[in-house]
Amino acid sequence: MPSGITNTKADNEMKIKGFLEDISGIKRITKARLDAIKNAPDDPIPEDPIHALAMEWHPGELELQVSEIRDSGGSAKSFRLRKPDGSKLPLFLPGQYLVLTLEIDGKPISRPYSISSAPASSYRENGFVEITVKKPRNDGFFADYLLKNVQEGDSVRALIGCGEFHYEPLRDAPHILALAGGIGITPFVSMARAIADGTLDISMTILYGVNAPEELVLWNELRTLEQEIPEKFQVVPVFADALSQDRPDYPFEQGFLSAKLIQKYLKTADGISPDTSLFICGPQAMYRYLQQELPKLDIPKRRIRFDLFGQVKDIGSFEGYPKDLIDKTFRMTVHRGIQEDIIPARAKESIAAALERAGIRLETGCRSGECGFCRTKVLSGSYFVCPENDGRRAADKEFDYVHACAAYPLSDLEIRIPIA
Amino acid sequence: MKFYRDHYDTIIIGGALAGLAAAIELAEAGLSVLVLEQRNAPGGVSTSIVRNGFEMELSLHEMSGVGGESDRLNAGKFFDRHNIDIEWLRVPECYTIALPDRSITLHAGIENFAEEIEQEVPGSREPVLAFLRLCDAVFECVNRFASPSLSDVPKSLHELDIMFKTAGYSTKDVMDSLDVPEEAQALLAPYWLYVGSPLSELPFTICALLLADYIGHGSYIPRRFSHEMSLKLSECAEALGVQVEYRQRVEKILTENGQVTGVRTARGDKISASYVISGAYPNTVFSRMIEPPDQVTPTIYKTLNSRSLSFTVFTLLLMLEGTPQELGIKNYCVFTGEVAESDRIFRENICRIGSYEALIGVCLNHTNPDAVPEGFTSFSITALLRPEAFSGVSGAEYENIRQKIAGQLVDTMAERLLVPIRDHIRELVIVTPESIARFSGSPGGCIYGFRHTMTDHIGARLLAPGGGESIRGLFFAGAHGFAGDGMGPQIMNGEAAAKSVSDQWKKENGLLQKAMNAIGDNEYEGR
Repeated sequence: MPSGITNTKADNEMKIKGFLEDISGIKRITKARLDAIKNAPDDPIPEDPIHALAMEWHPGELELQVSEIRDSGGSAKSFRLRKPDGSKLPLFLPGQYLVLTLEIDGKPISRPYSISSAPASSYRENGFVEITVKKPRNDGFFADYLLKNVQEGDSVRALIGCGEFHYEPLRDAPHILALAGGIGITPFVSMARAIADGTLDISMTILYGVNAPEELVLWNELRTLEQEIPEKFQVVPVFADALSQDRPDYPFEQGFLSAKLIQKYLKTADGISPDTSLFICGPQAMYRYLQQELPKLDIPKRRIRFDLFGQVKDIGSFEGYPKDLIDKTFRMTVHRGIQEDIIPARAKESIAAALERAGIRLETGCRSGECGFCRTKVLSGSYFVCPENDGRRAADKEFDYVHACAAYPLSDLEIRIPIA
Repeated sequence: MKFYRDHYDTIIIGGALAGLAAAIELAEAGLSVLVLEQRNAPGGVSTSIVRNGFEMELSLHEMSGVGGESDRLNAGKFFDRHNIDIEWLRVPECYTIALPDRSITLHAGIENFAEEIEQEVPGSREPVLAFLRLCDAVFECVNRFASPSLSDVPKSLHELDIMFKTAGYSTKDVMDSLDVPEEAQALLAPYWLYVGSPLSELPFTICALLLADYIGHGSYIPRRFSHEMSLKLSECAEALGVQVEYRQRVEKILTENGQVTGVRTARGDKISASYVISGAYPNTVFSRMIEPPDQVTPTIYKTLNSRSLSFTVFTLLLMLEGTPQELGIKNYCVFTGEVAESDRIFRENICRIGSYEALIGVCLNHTNPDAVPEGFTSFSITALLRPEAFSGVSGAEYENIRQKIAGQLVDTMAERLLVPIRDHIRELVIVTPESIARFSGSPGGCIYGFRHTMTDHIGARLLAPGGGESIRGLFFAGAHGFAGDGMGPQIMNGEAAAKSVSDQWKKENGLLQKAMNAIGDNEYEGR
């Protein structure tokens, strides 16, 4: 104890025990330190349990095998993926997506897909994860390839458990009204399965918008789940087309996912409006329609959650885009480390798409400008960032960093991307 | 295809603040430098997260070591020296302590601070003032002792006597000896939180550095989040010719006969280098990165086993609907708890999974209103935890625990501040020890390096570095460095690592030069 410390002078000169004695105090400390080191065991450092926990939830990209391909109705197929040795797959949150990477013509190409299976099916011996993929209406070469070429037994790579489209009890209401459009049903199938197996403690009603009954995907699975847990889960198809004579034998609605229809399902049979969060997943046209419809309803914004917007196919239609450039092709100089390549880049396609065409690997995740995997520096040239998908930080905007999946060339460009 | 040069003088593992500061210094000294960062952006945890268009600060509450234009401190001087122009905003107050029965807000400036404590604890003004002045004197000495610039180096050790005199004592020892009343000690205590020890175990030297800097000079944040600082550092490094590569995780540090020869990345690139500066913790490096592993000597293990990791955190980043005025959030930084006595908090609170009483709330609007969209409040809640608190959590129960703690943090803070937080959450990010471990790779999810204890703090580390540099050419820079944790000290850690490397480089290059001269002479003679 420095009992001798006194504070007699205004300038705070300290008198402890005299300078030399305190220098020996220092020696004491260095000796204590060296002794502590000398006396410590020389055992190797034990495994870090928190690192192990992190690796269990997020092991990074995994080599998986397509163990089963199933027809899921509505011209969609479900792909079941497992580890080749049948060991446990990581947990994820229902509603999240995985990033699937396929070798197409010798080039690794990635796309995000919502997971349609429940986390509990992954996290066990012989666990699996499933995605459900539908033939796209236009320009979906990855899905096309997946549906046509990928066979049971094939190897693929997947990064499991990405994205923020999942129930978060602190933020969301314990009842979800899901608005699904077409293949946008998949994250809700995962949620419904998790409600059924008891791991997700919420109730959910899905309004499932499709054109006609034959377009319903995973319909049998959804009906079975509904019968299993009727008090917690309900699914109501909403058909856009007029129905033919043979009407389905289950409850349904007709028209679009309009404010009026949503309003109807925000109330229970007794006219009570429980605290509800809207979760929305579907095509971009549906998002745009709902952005018109939702303001008509009295729902706080924090109770509305959209899944990722997806890569836009019609960048020319956005305000501020110089339309006269849309058919141009520019020269793009790409730096990776000390490597330099020059490739063509079409104005109407994202920088990520140009790289993909040229066979230059750039890791991408969400393809919606949100996750930032494809953060890229633009060294020179001008570009357009899709306003729906601008998930950049303020300082990144200032220094010309873009997310390549959401940025479009407007001139010859010079960019720097991570080595992959 | 070739992505890397055949050889680099230095490879830096991790493009966070310390690594980038080191890169800048080394590039200026004329060394070739490669920075390999595992993430897609610079800064490590000094970054921000964008969720649905809302940008939220990940970890910076207040940056020390900056100082104003007229009283620049170490980090501030570094940025000035390299023309790194960061838009600093001064945090308007030090902190508020909100206890169940009272709340007190303290402001920067030693006299101010002492006066405000006097209001709360009558009779404490003089001893608190004496204590803070002593802190300031020690702060000056350490700065000179650790300064990279030669002109500041003291001529005689006597100039540093106050540092040596006090280095052997804990903060509590010194406060007691100056008769700082217990109640006033508690009001000075919140800062122990960051460095991992209660006042009774907190080395006075480190407390002095923190308080003198923080209370004497105030603290700052960059206008565009800590990412502005990280990005401007990386831009500066690149402008100096440093090669910065993102999404490149270093898996192995390659050695031959106890000497670093390069690294191997997860992608499989083998890159040659004379020196490696690791931002990865020594624990991680020596447990799984050294190749061949038998190069790790028992002394290295002994040194590591003698030290203990500091805190990890559980943090909620919240974007709340409503302005701070509407919500009733009055201050920038609030320490809140049942009690303020650090020893009690340390004992009772933070070593287990449970409910956390000692919380820190930070409301960005009160320093940086322009960074928050109109009508919203950017608010974070942080609990400090010992890494062992989370070490028993299994994969299956993790999600439930995550949600439970997040809910408890919100409810506790809501009760203390009388703010209905739950009803206003528009976006949230939950940061857990697991997510930090994943994000940064740090052992136990620690963000504060090693605990500062009487045998392991800046003074002890400088005077007796310990296990020695058993692997030649390997250096460390990060929160685990000699100057410790926090963002300000990372600049010093980076500068120190760069100095060690460039000293060695000069020495070896000098030798090389002599050898070349000798060859030249021989050739001349031979002719």
